[in-house]
Amino acid sequence: MTGKMNASVSTTVSQSQDVAEDGGYDFYFGPAHPGSGNFGVKLKIAGEKVASARADPGYLHRGFEKLMEYRLPIQNSVLSDRICVLEALNWNLIHAEAVEELMEIEPPERARFIRVIMAELSRIQSHIIWFGAFCIGTGFQTGFNLAFGYRDYVLDLFEMITGGRVYPAGYICPGGVRRDFPDGATQKITHVLDQIGRMLRIEEMENPGLVARAKGIGVLKLQDAIKLGATGPVLRASGMETDVRKDDPYEVYDRFDFEVPTRGEGDAYARYLVGIEEIRQSVRIIKQALQQLPEGEVIEPKFRRIKLATKIPEGDVYVRNEVARGEAGMYMVSDGGERPYRVKIRGPSFLHMIPVLEHVLTGAQIADVPAIYWSLNVCPADLDR
Amino acid sequence: MATQADLEILDKINSEFKTKGEVRRKGRIWLDAPAEGFVDFCRWLKEQGFEHLSAISAIDWPDENMFELAYHLWSYQDKILITSKVKIDRQNAVIDSVTEIWNGSAQVHEREIHELFGIKFEGNNNLTPLFLEDWQGLPPFRKDFDWREYVRANYYDRQNERERVYYG
Repeated sequence: MTGKMNASVSTTVSQSQDVAEDGGYDFYFGPAHPGSGNFGVKLKIAGEKVASARADPGYLHRGFEKLMEYRLPIQNSVLSDRICVLEALNWNLIHAEAVEELMEIEPPERARFIRVIMAELSRIQSHIIWFGAFCIGTGFQTGFNLAFGYRDYVLDLFEMITGGRVYPAGYICPGGVRRDFPDGATQKITHVLDQIGRMLRIEEMENPGLVARAKGIGVLKLQDAIKLGATGPVLRASGMETDVRKDDPYEVYDRFDFEVPTRGEGDAYARYLVGIEEIRQSVRIIKQALQQLPEGEVIEPKFRRIKLATKIPEGDVYVRNEVARGEAGMYMVSDGGERPYRVKIRGPSFLHMIPVLEHVLTGAQIADVPAIYWSLNVCPADLDR
Repeated sequence: MATQADLEILDKINSEFKTKGEVRRKGRIWLDAPAEGFVDFCRWLKEQGFEHLSAISAIDWPDENMFELAYHLWSYQDKILITSKVKIDRQNAVIDSVTEIWNGSAQVHEREIHELFGIKFEGNNNLTPLFLEDWQGLPPFRKDFDWREYVRANYYDRQNERERVYYG
């Protein structure tokens, strides 16, 4: 009886165990595993402790950087959704900004506000997934159900505005956004924000079991965080007050009043608290954006009817955005042709999942591995690209 | 619009290393790194506050027979992004590693470029592949690697009626 129970409980770590030469065990956490999400970590276990961890990406590698060299910007706009499943709209925005800066286009004012609203909604639902996945990592199933239930309100909204629940199919495109808000969209956004506010007031969000599991694990000191290239909520939870939206404003972020939450502890619990606070700040930004939302066009007239053979002027550009996971960047080079000559995508998880993850897992208890893993707000898709 | 802080940093770099950089817009400095003493140049930049290596991008220019590497550096204190470019010979693609300056962050960025472009980073002790398993061919992100041809040759089935069309 007990043996059977153990078998069902131990699903958090795959059971491929080989005795290594030094007497420890090799544990493969992923890649084909519900608790790791298309990403593998090879762990060396000594007793109950992780002696060393080695990230093993590649399971989701699709080669977007190369694919984009073969496609027109309007096709790449759709492709850019797929860079990260969990925050497709943010990656849409980065791609659009890169093309616009190369082509020297200014999108209309209303489009800029819509972009901010959509990007922040995308951040909210991504952070909700983060919370849900983190709950699963600590064995708190209720939190996961709660998160995915409330996330659906945002997805309904995405469906109404962009036509796609998860992938907006290039809604934020070079020149502006594909179409204006439909009738009743602003009321629905307000309603969804109320629901999110309701979720954040639920006491069980901060379950004592979750807190006990999360406190003190996966500690990342500020010095190490900077050295290992951590950004976004991971860096903020280690004590650095930085946010691309504040430090290097893009779109119309400099017109809104919001705070950058930081914590000093650098452990999984601190990252969780930063994430929850960021949802509140995003709600604040959207409310201000809705109040100030101007009337007018939503796409630069030249781009309303897309000419396929539009040449991109020669040059190069590096754009940075704050996505839910941290700093995202796109370097785009054009040689004057219709297609970009080279695109480099810099995803925040690239550093969070290789050097940072290897660093924080080393020395951890094996039972804490999923909790630490998900506390970093990881997305294998933007690492593997 | 370039701010005073941007111009000050740019002047400092230009006078120290005789480079010709430009400020393209607020907080965006672009320059070509000096050919001699690249690592010392990077170390100097880090001492000036450019602690965050945002990314390294490699660009393949087969016609000019060179690789271009762009280092995107961010300063948390001055809030400025520097993109510093360096060109290397395509036939002898070797450059000094910056791992001792930007540590773990530089290490993985270089590892990725080594795998996808075949550029060697002298001094980086772990350049094992990240994404591809048992890849023997040309580094796939080089311009002379034609993935369409590769897929046609390897993944379509000559025996299959519908896929035979790809063989012409």
